[in-house]
Amino acid sequence: MSLDYSIIIAKFPILLEGCLVTLEISFFSLLLGMVFGIGGALCRTSSNRLLNSLAFLYVWIIRGTPIMVQLFILYFGLPQLGIKLSSMTAGILGLAVNTGAYVTEIIRAGIQAVDKGQMEAAMSLGMNYRQAMVRIIGPQATKICIPPLVNQFIMTLKNSSIASLVTITELLRTGEQLIYTTFRTFEVYTTVAVLYLIMNSVFMIIADKLEKRMARQ
Amino acid sequence: MSYIVEMKEIYKSFGPVEVLKGFNLNLREGEKVVIIGPSGSGKSTVLRCINQLESIQSGHIHFEGSEINEKANLCALRTQIGMVFQRFNLFPHKTVLENIIEAPLIVKNLPKAEAQTIGLELLEKVGLSDKKDAYPRELSGGQQQRVAIARALAMSPKIMLFDEPTSALDPELVGEVLLTMRELADEGMTMVVVTHEMAFAREVADRVIFMDQGVIVEEGPPQAVFENPTQERTKSFLKRIRH
Repeated sequence: MSLDYSIIIAKFPILLEGCLVTLEISFFSLLLGMVFGIGGALCRTSSNRLLNSLAFLYVWIIRGTPIMVQLFILYFGLPQLGIKLSSMTAGILGLAVNTGAYVTEIIRAGIQAVDKGQMEAAMSLGMNYRQAMVRIIGPQATKICIPPLVNQFIMTLKNSSIASLVTITELLRTGEQLIYTTFRTFEVYTTVAVLYLIMNSVFMIIADKLEKRMARQ
Repeated sequence: MSYIVEMKEIYKSFGPVEVLKGFNLNLREGEKVVIIGPSGSGKSTVLRCINQLESIQSGHIHFEGSEINEKANLCALRTQIGMVFQRFNLFPHKTVLENIIEAPLIVKNLPKAEAQTIGLELLEKVGLSDKKDAYPRELSGGQQQRVAIARALAMSPKIMLFDEPTSALDPELVGEVLLTMRELADEGMTMVVVTHEMAFAREVADRVIFMDQGVIVEEGPPQAVFENPTQERTKSFLKRIRH
């Protein structure tokens, strides 16, 4: 059987639409995931026992269960309790909660990697906890966190393909629908793979530039 | 007689390890006290209790007559107590001048121009005006420690705590830091210095305190403590460090 990519080229705009949905899911789940992650890390490094335990529990559960199961609970499970989420909401929320757990660990490690003397110096000058975190610890932790965060962002963009299982027509599902009508399995899946690679590459290039700029400081 | 710092019967432990066991200290305004003693004797902990980087298990600390505890406004208290650390602890992501004006800007809300004027004056005082735009990693240890002293002074503290300020320095850099500290002492600053620099203690201190195992073993004018120590533990410590 010979390969024929001409059909793909003809249907390319549909795949691009899928890309847009993938980018949309990824963008919002990353944004929300960062909020969960920063919050989680602040709780995880706080001396408040309750906050600390809650953040620990969050990370423990999410890291210890498959993302697919988490998404299925949100989309297929919750309606039984009377909570019905749209596929988009469930997809973004699921990815965000998942990303947030990993980001919590990344930022926690970043904060703890900053020398303890930095907090003490800030405190000894009369700064409160918030001022010390924002002005002194935060900027130093950010620098440490960027490489692992980039990794996590790439994971999230790829994980967004799992959202196809809760009926979101993102890139992978768009491709699958194209296969139903064209039967060009190999051509479609390879094209989908290349599109993911391109999206991630753009992201990696931006991240690389950012990292270099931070390192110069 | 009123004291700027009063510490009464301070007990402090880290887990099962008792570091301070009934420590007492009264510090007059303008007084220069040098604390010496073997490592693990609780010298640094005394300093860290004064500005509440460590909380105490029992006892009372007063600063200018008012009691310090967790309920006190620690941030306001700490603006009046400067601290210099063994490892400098400069902010690596900020330039020398930014290090110095950071706290005046965000804690005291000084206008930037005013903070900068103060910062530049202090840099001149510690002899590092030409380094204002350098980053800490571009400076020698001695220069970093002088910046750290300027940073603490920028808050116009009423007392300065020095926690082994020259212990992390190469021997040839110790002198410049001690010189800066000596100038500060000459201006009348109240100082508590934990150090192993006996010559400095002899010249600058009004009082030398020898600590061991969480209590004061012996204290008095440097002459008395160094030349005629009365306690066995003081004698053997001084003998050991003189080699």
